[in-house]
Amino acid sequence: MTAAVQARGLTRVYPGGTRALENVDLEIPAGRVFGLIGRNGAGKTTFVRIAATQLMLTSGEVSVLGLDVLRDVDEIRMRIAAVPQESRPLYFVTVDELIYTYLRVRGMERADARRRTEAALKEFSLTAVRNRQVNRLSGGTRRRAMVAMILACDAEVLFLDEPTTGLDPIARREVWSAIRRAQKEGRTVILTTHYLDEAEALSSRIALLDGGRVKLEGSPEDLRGRVRRPFRVTVHGAFGREELESYGDVSEIEGGFLVFARESDARDLAAKAMTRGARVSLAPVTLEDIFLQVVGTRLDEDAPLEREES
Amino acid sequence: MAVRHRLRSITTLTWLNGVLPIRSQPLYLINLVGQPLSFLFFITIASGGSLYPYAVGGGMLMTILSIGTSLQTDISHYKTDLKLQDVMIASPVEEWVYVAGLALSELVYSLPAMGLFVLLWTLGGWATPLAAITLAGVLLLVWAFASALGFTLATYFQDVRETFVFSSVISLSLSVIPPVYYPITALPAWLRPYAWLSPTTYAADLIHGTVGVPGPSTLGALTDWGVLIGFTLGLLALASWKARWREP
Repeated sequence: MTAAVQARGLTRVYPGGTRALENVDLEIPAGRVFGLIGRNGAGKTTFVRIAATQLMLTSGEVSVLGLDVLRDVDEIRMRIAAVPQESRPLYFVTVDELIYTYLRVRGMERADARRRTEAALKEFSLTAVRNRQVNRLSGGTRRRAMVAMILACDAEVLFLDEPTTGLDPIARREVWSAIRRAQKEGRTVILTTHYLDEAEALSSRIALLDGGRVKLEGSPEDLRGRVRRPFRVTVHGAFGREELESYGDVSEIEGGFLVFARESDARDLAAKAMTRGARVSLAPVTLEDIFLQVVGTRLDEDAPLEREES
Repeated sequence: MAVRHRLRSITTLTWLNGVLPIRSQPLYLINLVGQPLSFLFFITIASGGSLYPYAVGGGMLMTILSIGTSLQTDISHYKTDLKLQDVMIASPVEEWVYVAGLALSELVYSLPAMGLFVLLWTLGGWATPLAAITLAGVLLLVWAFASALGFTLATYFQDVRETFVFSSVISLSLSVIPPVYYPITALPAWLRPYAWLSPTTYAADLIHGTVGVPGPSTLGALTDWGVLIGFTLGLLALASWKARWREP
């Protein structure tokens, strides 16, 4: 299958010396949703901005749909669209105008732009506010309008940099549905997100970035299989920390312990806990758990300050 | 991108940034007309009416010149605050199409003031075909170089507030020292060579010839046109070479 985006030895050093990406190799298959996850400053946005032709790379190679981001930039730009992180619409346009004028600016015929605008308004439940100026909308609705604007176009590769930040759960689900539909239409969606449930729900493949490097990459199932301790056991009562440490990595949670363990150890622990009458649960690790195991911190903890600008 | 697609992009950007804000806030129109008229009023009163023709010509020149500053602020705002430039980069819209669309939208803003000045110019009895062609040509060149300069500078700013600093510097070099609202002979002799370093001086010289006050000689006019065209081409080349569409 053709790669939508391919990076080989990609390095980006910002003026001042911050190394945002370090020798990144990544292949993003076409026609799929690909999730990029990592802490603030991990290099996600830098990667997206380079692939979306917004930012120069320092060294290495990047191609989009087989086209080189340095040499074939005009051809690439015909076939991509992006919602940058923290982007906001012009305050004086209505939601309808926002979507329609974007499509027209991209060169779309009037009838096609109108048809796509109507579809996007409906798909994102924006019909009721279509004639309202965006400065009179909530932050979440503005963000939804921005995502609707980008998904309404006919680009083959869509870069969505934290598209659901600030959205309420219902609006997030609407964006998810639209992303799934875009993928069903054969488009590639490259999604950066802080929400691991979002990455897991949408992405057929995920790359975990930290410190400008790809730490893990694969399908969510692959990632589970590649961590040392792929099961999580929560135990409340009947066990002390020392005893649990013989089963795996232990951390304290509210009123109990969380143990990351191999499958056999996890089953043994769960069985023993039940015989002792402890409250116990056993499940495969979540993406959050994988992140914790690989990076050593939680996702919502920022990377060190020197990486912030990436 | 096909030519008709480019034209569509330009006209849509012009509509988006030129017409929709005025529709959203019609009070913009008062501001757009008020500032050039204030200068006209002040200079006419202060000179006892003798500089009125210069004030009309200078008003037209300043109205178009201010497009550069407005464009610089808009592009900077759209780049750093709204991230609109990044949206446009990741699309078929080329940088010159983006700039042309926004520069034309600034021209829409200037239309009310320009309409008023053209009316005063006509009422002054200065309107002849040659003067109209000269005026249109000069203002077109000023619009082009001001837009190129505004875009180039805006691509370097990290914050929209930085544009205010540059606006003052540009204003000083393009509209305060150059004899836009008065004859160059009104400047102290030592300052005149500096005035000729600014393209606006050549534009003003040509415009003076269209508002019934002493303009350049034939040779002087040819020199003015040559220098003005040269400046414009140079600034357009600089914009296409130095402007940072993709962040380095």
